[in-house]
Amino acid sequence: MLLQQLVNGLTLGAIYSLIALGYTLVYGILMLINFAHSEVLMVGAFVGLGVQLFFPPSLTSGPLGLALVFTLAMAAAGALNVVVERLAYRPLRNISRLAPLISAIGVSIILQNAVFLWVSNQSQTFPDIMKMRSFQFAGADISSLQIVILFTALGLMAALHFFIQKTRVGKAMRACADDMEAAELMGIDTKRIVAVTFLVGGALGGAAGALNGMYYGSIKYNLGFLPGMKAFTAAVLGGIGNIQGAVLGGFILGLLEVAVAGYLPNGAEWKDVIAFVVLICVLLARPSGILGEKIGEKV
Amino acid sequence: MKIALSLILAVLAAAGCGPREKVARIAAAMPLTGDMGTEGQGVLRAVELAVAEANVSKRFPFKLEVRALDDRADPKEAVNVANLIVSDSRVIAVVGHYNSGCSIPASQVYSRVGLPMISPASTNPKLTQQQLDSGWTGVRNIFRVVPTDDIQGSFSADFIYQKLKLRRFAVLHDKTPYGQGLAEQFQKRFLEDGGKVLSFDGVSVGDRDFKALLTRIKALNPDGVYFGGLYTETGLLLKQARELGLAVRFFSGDGSKTTGLFDVAGPAADGAYLTITGIPVEYLAGARDFIQKYHQRYPAMELKPFDHFGYEATNIILEGLAAVAPSPDSLAAIPALRAALVRKLRDTRYTGLLGVTTFDEKGDTLNKIITMTQARYHDRSFEPLQ
Repeated sequence: MLLQQLVNGLTLGAIYSLIALGYTLVYGILMLINFAHSEVLMVGAFVGLGVQLFFPPSLTSGPLGLALVFTLAMAAAGALNVVVERLAYRPLRNISRLAPLISAIGVSIILQNAVFLWVSNQSQTFPDIMKMRSFQFAGADISSLQIVILFTALGLMAALHFFIQKTRVGKAMRACADDMEAAELMGIDTKRIVAVTFLVGGALGGAAGALNGMYYGSIKYNLGFLPGMKAFTAAVLGGIGNIQGAVLGGFILGLLEVAVAGYLPNGAEWKDVIAFVVLICVLLARPSGILGEKIGEKV
Repeated sequence: MKIALSLILAVLAAAGCGPREKVARIAAAMPLTGDMGTEGQGVLRAVELAVAEANVSKRFPFKLEVRALDDRADPKEAVNVANLIVSDSRVIAVVGHYNSGCSIPASQVYSRVGLPMISPASTNPKLTQQQLDSGWTGVRNIFRVVPTDDIQGSFSADFIYQKLKLRRFAVLHDKTPYGQGLAEQFQKRFLEDGGKVLSFDGVSVGDRDFKALLTRIKALNPDGVYFGGLYTETGLLLKQARELGLAVRFFSGDGSKTTGLFDVAGPAADGAYLTITGIPVEYLAGARDFIQKYHQRYPAMELKPFDHFGYEATNIILEGLAAVAPSPDSLAAIPALRAALVRKLRDTRYTGLLGVTTFDEKGDTLNKIITMTQARYHDRSFEPLQ
């Protein structure tokens, strides 16, 4: 049972981490909490479904299908995030801290209702992209899906790490996170870097949305809300603005939820309460999160 | 601001009191959007069908209208809707609400003005039971045409214990008045029968990951799982249970018996046992006429699980109304008409598609049939057992 719960927790944590990265990337650069991120993830899931309905099944099954679904879901979610930034956040930058926050909540409501009204207000089946197999291992039933999810998420995280640490654009992102004005003075096109950040964050959200659809087998207009809240919590837990922190926070939250729901009697009812109690305790002890630093490099 | 508000109110009041055509309204309050939207829309279609028939038949010396309001299956919204309804002086009765969580708070609003309400789908016993509380100040205006959860939960418990001879169960619910009520009634009866309840857990509506909980349940090695809740969570539980290799029999109530279950659970829905209130409409001899008329009026529309209850509830109201409102002048004093209708409904003896409906002192129907069905994935249907 321990192994099974560990796998349950890691899979959940991997999805939370991917979403948390989207929050933390944006926050690291703009100090803005992108509340529309949960809807970007939901749109990613719907694009993933759309791809499967639009293309012939031969193209959308197996590893090739996986790649196609993910590429398009990520591209669409990333592009959407860029558009949201351009229309809803950029005009409000430098006005007040509150205006973009309210704008973000507005975008979230608009996107959710747009899907609700124009696409579907019902649960939609998300077809299996890969044939699911179940492995019996030390008393645990581990599905191939869980493994795919875990490795996809880890792969994307590794790619993000490489992108930020090793590429020129990544370097510019770090510079912007450090000091936007100084970066601009050094000749960095900060507007473009902000757009790239939204693109990358949105793409990760889109991937998380598609993974969410694959894992639970159905999607709905409001599927982003709860994981979005949880992932935001995870980002704060790990230290918002800090990339390693987001990943760590996501896995901690996933494992914690599974531990509470899986081991305490009546724990499923209490898991959210306990998760947030832990969050508050961590923040009391370390106000800027586990890996967060008060001042210094945020990305 | 205050002046503007009182002006608006004055205008509204004047509009309400002025000369008007003779119209009586039946309010239909149920979820028309959201998760339960398609179920609610089905009931609304049935209400509209019944009212349209009444208008065509010219049984009434005035025109009947349906006023449809969307409570989005949300208790807060249901209270808003209820307040809108009681402020409409042409409404003589309510068909609604769908979810118990909505019906209970809304019924308290209706009771303040003595507006009769018949729920076509809410099965939590509290809905009518609350009228017997000492704190209940209004009239007993609440009725329903569906058997309650205590009957449904008990029926499942007896079925499992006596027919399937299973003894060890894990019980889950979704923390809503409907789901938790159903699960508690099941647990109570199953324990009385001599069964064993290994665990009793709540899950949150909207949560999608139940694997940790199901893994714990698997370790308890139950004979089956009983879940009180609606189809989305039922579907996710079924799917995740199968993925975890928890191959036990799965039971739930009428809230899960809808084809949406197959969209969420996929093949994992196959074989799930679901109780439904009454007899499935396609097996009801008295409902053939209704089904035909329904499909005639709404071609290409699928009949939803509670549509025939909505039709029956509306017709019970109409029968009562015909008795207490013989002339167009009856509509002059709406509060008196509502009160007369409540009294009339109390003595209802209506023969319709459900058979004979009479109400007990709480307003619950005495027509208490429950049917056990089993989900079949290949043709997305629910096959009645026994």
